[in-house]
Amino acid sequence: MGTQVKDVIIKPDAPNTLLLDKHADYIAAYGSKKDDYEYTLSEYLRMSGIYWGLTVMDLMGQLSRMNREEIIEFIKSCQHDCGGISASIGHDPHLLYTLSAVQILSLYDSINVIDVEKVVDYVKGLQQEDGSFAGDKWGEIDTRFSFCAVATLALLGKLDEINMDKAVEFVLSCMNFDGGFGCRPDSESHAGQIYCCTGFLSITGQLHKVNADLLGWWLCERQLPSGGLNGRPEKLPDVCYSWWVLASLKIIGRIHWIDKAKLRSFILACQDEETGGFADRPGDMVDPFHTLFGVAGLSLLGDEQIKPVNPVFCMPEDVLQRVGLQPDLLS
Amino acid sequence: MHGRVKVKSTAQQEEEKRKEREKKLKAFVSARDAVLRKRSAGEHDEEALQLTQQLLSSNPDFATLWNYRREVLLQLETSREKDEVQKLYESELHFIEACLKVNPKSYGCWHHRSWVNTRLPQPDWTRELGLCDRCLSLDERNFHCWDYRRVVVKESGVSVEQELQFTDRLIGSNFSNYSSWHYRSTLLPQLHPQPAPDSASNTSPSPTASPQIHSHRVCEEQLLKAEREEMISCVYVSRERERVSVAFSKPVHLCDLPPGSVSDISNEHNLTVHWTEKYTHRDCALYTGCAESWCRDSATDQELFRSELSVEKSSVLQAELQSCNQLLELEPQNKWCLLTIILLMRALDPLGHEKETLAHFQTLKEVDPMRSSYYSDLCSKFLIENTILKMEYAEVRVFSLSNKNLTTLCHLDQLLLVTHINLSSNQLLRLPPQFAMLQCLEVLEADDNAIESLEGLYHLPKLEEVSLRNNRILFSKQSKCFIRNPFSAFRASAWFDLVSRSQYSSLINSYRLCRIMEGQQI
Repeated sequence: MGTQVKDVIIKPDAPNTLLLDKHADYIAAYGSKKDDYEYTLSEYLRMSGIYWGLTVMDLMGQLSRMNREEIIEFIKSCQHDCGGISASIGHDPHLLYTLSAVQILSLYDSINVIDVEKVVDYVKGLQQEDGSFAGDKWGEIDTRFSFCAVATLALLGKLDEINMDKAVEFVLSCMNFDGGFGCRPDSESHAGQIYCCTGFLSITGQLHKVNADLLGWWLCERQLPSGGLNGRPEKLPDVCYSWWVLASLKIIGRIHWIDKAKLRSFILACQDEETGGFADRPGDMVDPFHTLFGVAGLSLLGDEQIKPVNPVFCMPEDVLQRVGLQPDLLS
Repeated sequence: MHGRVKVKSTAQQEEEKRKEREKKLKAFVSARDAVLRKRSAGEHDEEALQLTQQLLSSNPDFATLWNYRREVLLQLETSREKDEVQKLYESELHFIEACLKVNPKSYGCWHHRSWVNTRLPQPDWTRELGLCDRCLSLDERNFHCWDYRRVVVKESGVSVEQELQFTDRLIGSNFSNYSSWHYRSTLLPQLHPQPAPDSASNTSPSPTASPQIHSHRVCEEQLLKAEREEMISCVYVSRERERVSVAFSKPVHLCDLPPGSVSDISNEHNLTVHWTEKYTHRDCALYTGCAESWCRDSATDQELFRSELSVEKSSVLQAELQSCNQLLELEPQNKWCLLTIILLMRALDPLGHEKETLAHFQTLKEVDPMRSSYYSDLCSKFLIENTILKMEYAEVRVFSLSNKNLTTLCHLDQLLLVTHINLSSNQLLRLPPQFAMLQCLEVLEADDNAIESLEGLYHLPKLEEVSLRNNRILFSKQSKCFIRNPFSAFRASAWFDLVSRSQYSSLINSYRLCRIMEGQQI
């Protein structure tokens, strides 16, 4: 064959121990400088950003360092009349941020500060005739939104409010020749979408419809010589795929098909010893998104310094136990 | 957030950067505040379009701005003639294309373009197809563009053949062509709803051209299509236990078995199990004087683990196998080649090629050690399949797979009739819940494994003898419950070898089960 495999090389001086305290300091300070460039430009996803930060802090046992009251007030002011929740004040509601908000409120055991009935109405209203879900009233269809819908309703205990059979039918129609899933029917398989679809099928009790051996193979082929995981063939590795791919493997009972030690080395190498936090790959700039998925990935790999994380919801297991949610996983 | 390299710079460079960003930030904040003010005031005018244009060019993920823009455009539509609306939206398409040049992977951009095409009085699908061609020539893996292309093709009625030719061109010129092959996998079934006998050559590249895709295609055919038909695998009746056991090839929702009695010795009973959802059934006759009976198709009839091969298909696969073997001689470390050979051999003659298959798996594990767990599990699956196939020529009630490097168990639904199973000297970590399908099991030998949990043994009504020496059973509350399970009729001849790592007990070497049953503290 002789062609070069797209990959990174991990330098010998890359970090190889877990720097949890540095990561907690990084997240605690993030966003306190409200005039930070990246922070302001990412306002359009603020609700998800808060969810990433809070979840990783909770996984590290440091949730108390975050400003609970301020965040809860913020969420209240982001719920619109239609029931949907936006990423920030002045932005439009969307399923993505509705899920993030509900996840945050679950972490804080404060679901009832928002109008739950209206959230349910909002989610229900986005289901289409073919069972798919639009992200908002403008109609973009994506299996990510199917996941957002059922995950939101599951956390609220209201899964029975949508047409489950149709929703499942749509997601299954997005299954490809390689066992994976894409955004819409006929879309190419992608680890992010696969996470959403296997998570969806877990929540809806339909995991037996997955071809676990075929999909598991596609997923374990994401591991590159550096030990890192990519999101689909011929792409560079990225720490966030340590979550999308790994969680999917866990859900379908095939997590032992990747080389755990090599993946752990890769994730640790993505840490920034100076600033704390994780980057997408060694040597790049850090951000809260990759910090969460690096830490969550390590938790799935069994690191005992981190709380166990639920592979379907990407939230601490103890939170889900409190809520009473134990979605099926394949063995 | 992706691909931003951390660059070390001098104090002066840092200061310059900081000033630059402060400037940019100020500009952004003031434009953003102006836009949101206008929107709150309900203003839907040209100025709104200008302001959002400024911001969206460099911030195409700021979704609310696209929403506002759509509101403005819809408003403007109401006061314009059709040809003006056409111009309005055509100019919008120009704007979107400029945004795509900066960021070709923005969900917001692509969705907005689709939306614009629903508003255009006269969409120009040829132009849209041209945009897709250009975009894919820059990045053949851009899935946003591929998804958009599928919409364009559907709306404009481009033929499947034309699109197949397009993928041919791309595949020929680009090594990173997984997206093209994926597209082909969705196009070909539209052309050939019933796959032709020589369809293998249409659907997959030669092993030399694209070994990864080739493996995928062969794998798909073997694993996906060989997905077993939904059927009742076996029906088993036992007079003494007044029990009917039914094994299905796929998970089913539980139904109520009608109450009835088959316990009287003198009568013949003819049972039929109806699987109403699948319009299939299976009959089983329990003759006078017989304690038990069963009905099970032989494995060879069912083509259980692979699809039936026509003569033409066989020769195509044979040719592919030859091709792969030749490639393997040139590249003995080529894992795609090895895997494809294994899968082709299974499709052609699983039992005949068993020895070769095992050797290739060994090589695979050396060549691609990161995935050795996968290869071990796959090999275990094939060995179990072969043993099930061999059952046809021997006993259906004894199943032996000792010393086979088994790392996993599967197809347990095929083992409903088995009374004796030997899994000793393997690398099994557990007896999974599906083990409960072995409803006739009387004797289990599973010494010398790495079994940690016995959850699979909880519901085996006929189990009498168990040997689990030299495993890793955690003697915990769970195990204690199991031992007291009223369904298990253990005899004194059962042995446990408990090597415990739990907090409940110290090291134990071996115990007579009857001692445990008598409630001794451990």
